[in-house]
Formats: sequence, structure tokens, C-alpha cells
Amino acid sequence: MIVASFRSEWVKLKRPNLLVGTYVGLAIAASLFAVLVFAQAPATGGGGLPSLVQLAQPNGLIHGVNRAAVLLGVVAFGIAAAQIASEYSLGTLRQLLVRQPRRAVLLAGKFLAVLAFMLGAVIFASLIATVAAFVMAHARHVPTAAWTSSAGITDLTRALGDLLLATAGFTIFGLVVGLLFRSSVTAIIVGFAYLLPFEAVVTRIVPNTATWLPGQLLQAIATGGAEVAGFAHSLILSAVYVVIAGVVATVVFVRKDVTA
Amino acid sequence: MALMSARHAPDLAVVTTGLTKEFGKRRVVDNLDLAIPRGSVCGFVGPNGAGKTTTIRMLLGLIRPTSGSGQILLGDLHHPASYLAGVGALIESPAFYPQLSGRDNLLALVRLGQLDPAKIDEVLERVGLADRADDRFSRYSLGMKQRLGIASALLPEPSLLVLDEPTNGLDPAGIVEMRSLIRSLADEGMTIFVSSHLLSEIEHICDHVVMIRSGRSVFQGSVAELHGMRTSELVIRTEEAGQLGNLAQLLSDRGLTVQIEESSGTVVVTDAAPLAGELNRAAFEAGIVIAHLAERERSLEEAYFALTGTHSGDVEAVGSLGEIQ
Repeated sequence: MIVASFRSEWVKLKRPNLLVGTYVGLAIAASLFAVLVFAQAPATGGGGLPSLVQLAQPNGLIHGVNRAAVLLGVVAFGIAAAQIASEYSLGTLRQLLVRQPRRAVLLAGKFLAVLAFMLGAVIFASLIATVAAFVMAHARHVPTAAWTSSAGITDLTRALGDLLLATAGFTIFGLVVGLLFRSSVTAIIVGFAYLLPFEAVVTRIVPNTATWLPGQLLQAIATGGAEVAGFAHSLILSAVYVVIAGVVATVVFVRKDVTA
Repeated sequence: MALMSARHAPDLAVVTTGLTKEFGKRRVVDNLDLAIPRGSVCGFVGPNGAGKTTTIRMLLGLIRPTSGSGQILLGDLHHPASYLAGVGALIESPAFYPQLSGRDNLLALVRLGQLDPAKIDEVLERVGLADRADDRFSRYSLGMKQRLGIASALLPEPSLLVLDEPTNGLDPAGIVEMRSLIRSLADEGMTIFVSSHLLSEIEHICDHVVMIRSGRSVFQGSVAELHGMRTSELVIRTEEAGQLGNLAQLLSDRGLTVQIEESSGTVVVTDAAPLAGELNRAAFEAGIVIAHLAERERSLEEAYFALTGTHSGDVEAVGSLGEIQ
């Protein structure tokens, strides 16, 4: 039955405007980061950007995508929040619940479908950004042999895995916030305001908070771990947050009267 | 109608006992006992805020009852999954994804309910949307949206069809088509529970009626029984308008229910038709000359208002649309 809910949600997700818009939009954004990293890279380093020498290393390919991680996460959050909240604002939830009254099953199928949609978008964006990186490397005479070595492939795979984990986290938080606010606009505004300015200000004033704020933890996961929050710590604490958010969302969804 | 227990009612499609819903301290549905016969077209009427939509949502598992029990298609009201596979519903305004076509909107529901995809074309054909099935829902007229809502409700080949204001937004021809569709579905043995604010709709398409006010049932039975509740009244006009008050006082002193209708310059006496001659004589003896005396049967609407005790914009008398046959 979760499969039925997943396939039903997919009818909505595969509409051209959303599918093409999200996949192409994210691919362009991720590619832009890759292009800018290579275009602005100094010959020997400094200025906060990787140098051409560093870009020639096995992990050189992932610098651009890593810098796009926050953008990808925030977009995933917004789309996920809008998908679930719009069921309330459009009134379509009542139609769905008549056909699938087992609410937890409906919710699980929708979560998985949106998650699959966003992970697919990030994989597609990463592939396009990789192609862009190869093109830019050629343009700036950066040797790419190390990228296709076994070490390079391992680094790339690990980076993509980290990015997908972080995207999954952002997506789930987006779904939960959308479910709780029941309004696409409100959910997205509140979510963006929290993830971007609020957490940035808090961590600037109290740096240690980066070790437990969810947005900071997901960013740390996306980049394979940060100085303040290590990868393992970020992964475990994020998993705890995701489980708590999932339980709260499920309980609210199952028990709350549908009056919309 | 004598209500059966919420259990063991195979001849009833819907039966509830003491169905109650409170939102905070506000009781919206109050000990509502429903008994809707299988195969009937049952009208559900009540003024704004009477609790119609809340009741329908409770029957569909969207709102959890505060108390009470019930059975729908022999399934337990508190376990909607036990009966909703046999229920189709159009709840308030039709709600679909505006960017998807009519066909894709139905496909999403077919997949969710694990229904036969072949039903999509069948129901689109039935509601007359086959040639516009691939247009976006956002480009549909209100009437087309309503028809798509009916189509979605028919997807599971329901035994019970719940329709909330199904003629909303339809033009007169569409209303006639909708009535015809509802009758044809009823002829196939489907039970139809239809809420409407048009009493004429109830008269035309329903054979059973539930009327509620403030969350409580005020009438439940066949349309024939409702017609039987109509009462007659005498309409009297005096030769001199100044004598209307004297006549009203005279009749009132005899224990009759009297109302002066200033606009028509008449006195209206309830349930007094058999007394016409006697009242005429009494008026004459009191020096009041009656110029006009006629019996008037109260309409279904007046019977309704007598039951619900309210006039409301939600309940319209038989108007121009009500004359459509």
C-alpha cells in the first residue's frame, strides 16, 4: 500500500513544470558553482578558493558541488514543504484520505516519493556539475587524470553519498515543516528564515551552537564533516532529529482532524 | 423512522447512534442518529452551521467523532479503512491539482486506491468530460470541475456515494444532467447521500430526507412523510384595512395562531381551514366584513422552516432553478 501511495504521489511529481524545473534548475545551479570555482581558482592557492593545483588532486572534482550543498539543501527543503503543505491549501488531502484512510501509509508513501524525487534531482545536478567541471578543467589546463583514479572515484562517490544524506535530511525537515504549518508560503518562509539568516546569526554569536543546530549539522554532513561538527557526530545527531521530527509529523498527521 | 441499533443493520447503508463532535467547547454535531436505507437517495439539509459538513467528514473518516458509534456499509465508523473502499465522495468544492490534467488527477486517485485504470475513461465519459480529459484542471470551468469531482467519486464503483452540494456551479442544463445522473446511479442500486441547500433539489431527486439544525436531527424520513407534514392556513382580507387588527384579535381570542401580513393586507390563520365558515360568521357578528377568504397550503420550505425554526441564506426556497424538470 505504501507503493500505491508512492506511485500516486509520483503522478504529481512528474508533471513537466516541476520535474524539468527542479532537475534543470538544480543542475544549472550546481554547474554554476563548479564553473565559478574553476574560473576563479588562483594558480597556487589563497583567498579561500581551491587553487588549480588543489583542483588537480583526486578530490578536486567535488569542490564545486560541495559549495552548492547549501543551495541544494534549501531547495530540497522548499520543494518538500510545498508538496505536503499544498495538499492542505488545495483541499486535495480529503480526496486522498477517502481513497487511503490509513494515514500513516499515505504519509510514508508521500515522504518516500518526494525523497526519491529530490535525491534524483541532486544526482542529476551532480552529474551535470561533474561534466561542467571537466569542461572547465580543460579550459584552465587542470590535469584530470587523478579524478578518474580509484582514489578520485572513491572521493567522488563519498562526496555524492554525503550530499544525498544531507539532501535527505533537508527534504524530511521540509516535509515535516510543511505538514505542521499546512501552508506552502508560511512553511517556506519560516524554513528559509530559520536555515539561512537565523542559524547563521546564532552560530556567529555562539559558535558552539553549530554542533547541534540541524541546518549546520546537515551542511557538515554534505561536506564530509566540518571543523566545529565532525561527520559522525553530525550524522548521529541529525538522525536523532529526523526520527523525532518524523514521529511528531506522523502523530500529528494521523490524529489531526482534516477540516481543510 | 425507528432507529435501529448501530449494529446489525444490513438494510441500512449508514446508521449512527449518538454521533457527536465538539470543537473545544462548541458542540457542532449533537447526538445525531442517522438511518439511511440502502439504495435510497437521501437528502441532507440544514442551515449554515447546522453541522452538515462536519457530519459528512465524520462519515468519511476525516474528522474523529467526540462520541457516538455507527456503521457504514456494515463497517465500523471508527475504522474508516473497513468501509471507505466502497464509498465515493465529493466533499464541498472539488479539490484537485491545478497543474495536472483531469485524467492525471484521476490517475493519482486510481493509483492510491489501487483501482482499475480503465475506470478513468469510463467515468470521464459518464460525466461528459471525455473530450476535455487532457486539459489542465486549472482551465476547467466551475461546472467541469464539479463534474470531475463526481467522476472521482465514481472511480471505486461505490456502493455509497456522498455528494456535498453537487449542483453548485452548474448551469440549469448541468443541474438537469446532474439530477439525471444521480437518478441513474440510484437506479443501479447505489445509495446516495446528498447534501443540498436547495430544497427543490431534495424534492426532485431524493426519496429520503434528513434535516438537521444545530447539529441535531429535526426530521428524518421519506419525502412523502415530509410532504405529509405540510399544513394549511387561511388567508383572510377584510373589506376595510383598519379592521385587520380587530379580526386578528378576535381569532387570537379563540386560541388560533394568527399573523398579520402587512404587505398583502391579510390575516393568516394556521391550521384553521375546517373553521372557515365558523370564523366568517364570527367576524360578521363582530361587525367585520370579510372580502376574501381562501385556504393556502404551506410549501415544503415553510414546513422546513417550521422544523428548523430559522430562515437562512443557506436554504433557498423553490426558485427559478426549482422549476426545472
